[in-house]
Amino acid sequence: MSVDVAAAPQKGKKSALGLRKRKRVGIRIDMTPMVDLAFLLLIFFMVTTVFRRPLAMEVNVPEPGAKVEVPVSNVMTAYVMADGTIEYDVGQRGLAEASWEELRDILVLELDYNPDLIVLVKVDRSARYERMVDVLDALDEARISRFSVIPMTEADKAVIGAQ
Amino acid sequence: MTPMVDLGFLLLIFFMSTTTFKPPERVSVALPGSKAQVHVPETNTIIITVNKQGEFYISDENLSQTQQVTREDLDNAIVSWRAKNPTAVVVVKGDKEVDYGSVADVMDALAATKTLRFNLMTDLKKPKVDTAKKKK
Repeated sequence: MSVDVAAAPQKGKKSALGLRKRKRVGIRIDMTPMVDLAFLLLIFFMVTTVFRRPLAMEVNVPEPGAKVEVPVSNVMTAYVMADGTIEYDVGQRGLAEASWEELRDILVLELDYNPDLIVLVKVDRSARYERMVDVLDALDEARISRFSVIPMTEADKAVIGAQ
Repeated sequence: MTPMVDLGFLLLIFFMSTTTFKPPERVSVALPGSKAQVHVPETNTIIITVNKQGEFYISDENLSQTQQVTREDLDNAIVSWRAKNPTAVVVVKGDKEVDYGSVADVMDALAATKTLRFNLMTDLKKPKVDTAKKKK
């Protein structure tokens, strides 16, 4: 075939190979609906995406019945009352009220003063759970790893009530 | 318009690939805030939910087979769920408004069933919350 083409005389618009150059037809695809759809999906995924995964505080509890004896001078007891106030007592020095904002600073100070500090957290059963998380958070921030959460007894409440 | 459409598709692909759909929750819980930095594992968890009313629910991470349990059944429920999946991480998901006593019950039950390591699910505490508290 190429032989034929080569043999044919030049006439009109013909390439070297003899194929007639076709006039290009401009193809126009209307992309609007596709882009609309893409943006619709984009908005959908943007709205439904949650980047935040819930966080966790790891808690290790001792075996039930495990007993450790500690000197009372190393013990700081934090009482979270039913109404959400917090009181603390370091080494039986006497109760003092603390505010939630300064709790972390108090813990840091006390730890600085006594690096062997052990914190007992006594939370009233009718206090809000959030409060206990706040205390654990403050302990974590003050880098106190030796603490224990124990239930508040009636005797504790009586002691606090008396003071 | 081409760069805009390019960007649009890029974002679309990004969001499509990063989205994970959360199964609908039967029990809604407002988590307390903390500054903890550890994430709850996405799989292999046993979630014990305590809602605002102090009711207990136990489920896995899909929250599909959430079952309500009473305080008395909590120990048995924990034992049976742990037996089903011994390597699972136990997560306590308590509502911030709930009385501490209910969560203490869960923690007692966990201690009683020798689940000595568990997580408390929290939300990231925003600094905004702190300033609001200071004003109080």
